Amino acid sequence: MNKKRITPLEATNTVKKSIVKRRSKDNRLKLYGRIAIGLAVCFLLFLFYSIFTKGYPGFFQYYVTLDINFDRDRIDPKGDLSDNSLFDGEASKIVNESLFSIIEPKGRKAKKQAKKIVSSGKDVRIAKMVKNDPSLFGTITKVKFALDDDIDSFLRGYIKRETPESERRISDKVIGFVDKLNQDGRITYEFSDYILKGSASGNPEMAGIKGAFIGSMLTLSVCLLISFPLGVATAVYLEEIAKKNRITEFIEVNINNLAAVPSVVFGIMGLAIFISIFGMPRSIPLVGGMVLALMTLPTIIISSRAAIRAVPPSVRDAAYGIGASKLQVIFHHVIPLAMPGMLTGTIIGMAQALGETAPLLMIGMVAFIVDIPNSVMDPGTVLPVQIFMWADFAERMFIQKTSAAIIVLLGFLISMNALAVYLRKKLERRW
Amino acid sequence: MVKVKTMVNIKEDFKNLDLTVGDVFSKDARLKARNVNVFYGINKAIDNVTIDIGNKEVISFIGPSGCGKSTFLRCFNRMNDTIDSCRIEGKITLEDENIYDDKIDVVPLRARIGMVFQKPNPFPKSIYDNVAYGPRIHGLSENKEHLDNIVEESLKRAGLWEEVNDRLLSPGTGLSGGQQQRLCIARAIAVSPEVILMDEPCSALDPIATAKIEELIHELGNEYSIVIVTHSMQQAARVSKRTAYFHLGKLIEVGKTKEIFTRPRHNQTEAYISGKIG
Repeated sequence: MNKKRITPLEATNTVKKSIVKRRSKDNRLKLYGRIAIGLAVCFLLFLFYSIFTKGYPGFFQYYVTLDINFDRDRIDPKGDLSDNSLFDGEASKIVNESLFSIIEPKGRKAKKQAKKIVSSGKDVRIAKMVKNDPSLFGTITKVKFALDDDIDSFLRGYIKRETPESERRISDKVIGFVDKLNQDGRITYEFSDYILKGSASGNPEMAGIKGAFIGSMLTLSVCLLISFPLGVATAVYLEEIAKKNRITEFIEVNINNLAAVPSVVFGIMGLAIFISIFGMPRSIPLVGGMVLALMTLPTIIISSRAAIRAVPPSVRDAAYGIGASKLQVIFHHVIPLAMPGMLTGTIIGMAQALGETAPLLMIGMVAFIVDIPNSVMDPGTVLPVQIFMWADFAERMFIQKTSAAIIVLLGFLISMNALAVYLRKKLERRW
Repeated sequence: MVKVKTMVNIKEDFKNLDLTVGDVFSKDARLKARNVNVFYGINKAIDNVTIDIGNKEVISFIGPSGCGKSTFLRCFNRMNDTIDSCRIEGKITLEDENIYDDKIDVVPLRARIGMVFQKPNPFPKSIYDNVAYGPRIHGLSENKEHLDNIVEESLKRAGLWEEVNDRLLSPGTGLSGGQQQRLCIARAIAVSPEVILMDEPCSALDPIATAKIEELIHELGNEYSIVIVTHSMQQAARVSKRTAYFHLGKLIEVGKTKEIFTRPRHNQTEAYISGKIG
């Protein structure tokens, strides 16, 4: 054994020598940290940049302005503005006639191609207009119609004029028609009234996210209403009331494990239990919300328990010492003090639920649903599933729409988080 | 070394007082502890303690750290119930009613036996709400005006009214340490208890705040029975009429404060007060 004693002078010298090394180690660690943060920020900026540059045009689209002769006999043959009557009317024909009068297509084939320039939703648009304002009848009014998605892509430059006709989705003839409309100043680039107000559609130019947005809201409401009270109650019970024994330990381990279960498994469980056993309908936000509630429960329970544990024991002592019952201690002191932490956990859970796709695929929320859900019992879809579906479509225009939907989803998420921060700040005792 | 001098009004049988010397019993006892044992799991924290707490008496528990005086204090209002591993044997009576009886509810018991803790622990609420909390949960006030009176009266008796009457709605945690502790005392007396337990109430305070609390204890001693656990022998000497010395979970000696500090009968007590142990 080396029993050499170190003199104070030797110790000082050795420390002096090593200090340079230690300092450079400190600095290196600092540098690594900065590099890591810098990289993360770069990636984040790049992500936002690419989403916004791609998604921003998705909120706009090309329109053509046509003079429409609102002839009541032709648009509304029965004269009662009913859906039936408007369906029987010749709104599309009127639009086509107006279009032909400008571009003057020659021959049957040319006419057929010309018809496709204006989006197929034109008759619906006219029906909506006259329903809102029957005084339009008998007038000739300028109406804006969305252009077909291929024309839109052409105008954006995604379909090039130089490409040989055989490899292009639109023919030279149609390009000629579009040029004519452009010369007439009838084509405009405007904020799309389909992206935010429309629902799922096979026609990219008419597809919108309203249905998915409302579906998301309904699903999240169900999820929140189930998981928040249930999660908080579980956490309070486990922390404050239950005796610490094997059973509670077992439950705790299982809750922690559930938090790590892949979300798609919850979807399978929802399918097996809610749909197969309870016979609930597919694709409804109620089932979606219940599945997501199961998924978010562990997160909420774990964070709520941590928040409850962080309540200082002195407050509990004080309340018990003055004769508060267990229930009073919990409701007067523990829950109010733990609420900010519980809310944080809940918001994390909700944000997770908002972005979840996989479990909802299992319960059929991936279906193509045009109607906007009015209640939690109506079939619907949610934003991330809508994005997932659009990302799968071939049409060029869906790329922009997908990015636009992502922007809306991000906006939803950010506003939800902002609300959480606000609530937390408001509930947080500043003393 | 059995030196039990007075035995008044004692009907309960007790045994093994082989260690405790001095006046364990009191003529006018409010709280009686008989052969109390406290266990934490398998560790015995309190070993066979028998003592009376007199009516309107200030008694201090002294002893080295870890001697069990705080544990024993918490037996009187069953605060040890909140600790899962804690088990209590023996008998403690308040007005001849066993507080560990199954029929006894801890809620009214704790309303009768208030407690002040080592660290000032006001609720994170306003000063007013802190004091009003007890009367509110126990339904002691008839109306808002009555509650206001209770709050004012309690704060006055705790000597805090002059300092806070213009900011009753500001947070209780914003007060200074000494003020917070007096607020806790006001909170305890707002429910009109019979006994106040104080667990080292001044250990987190500076000398000036301590002096104020001691003065307050002195005054409150005319109305309540006060049991105070303290580390400071000077404090025990200043505020209490009786003193009990604990050592390693055992009650070694009880007696008049003056006598304990001038003529201790047990050699361990002497060793502690003369600074040889502790």
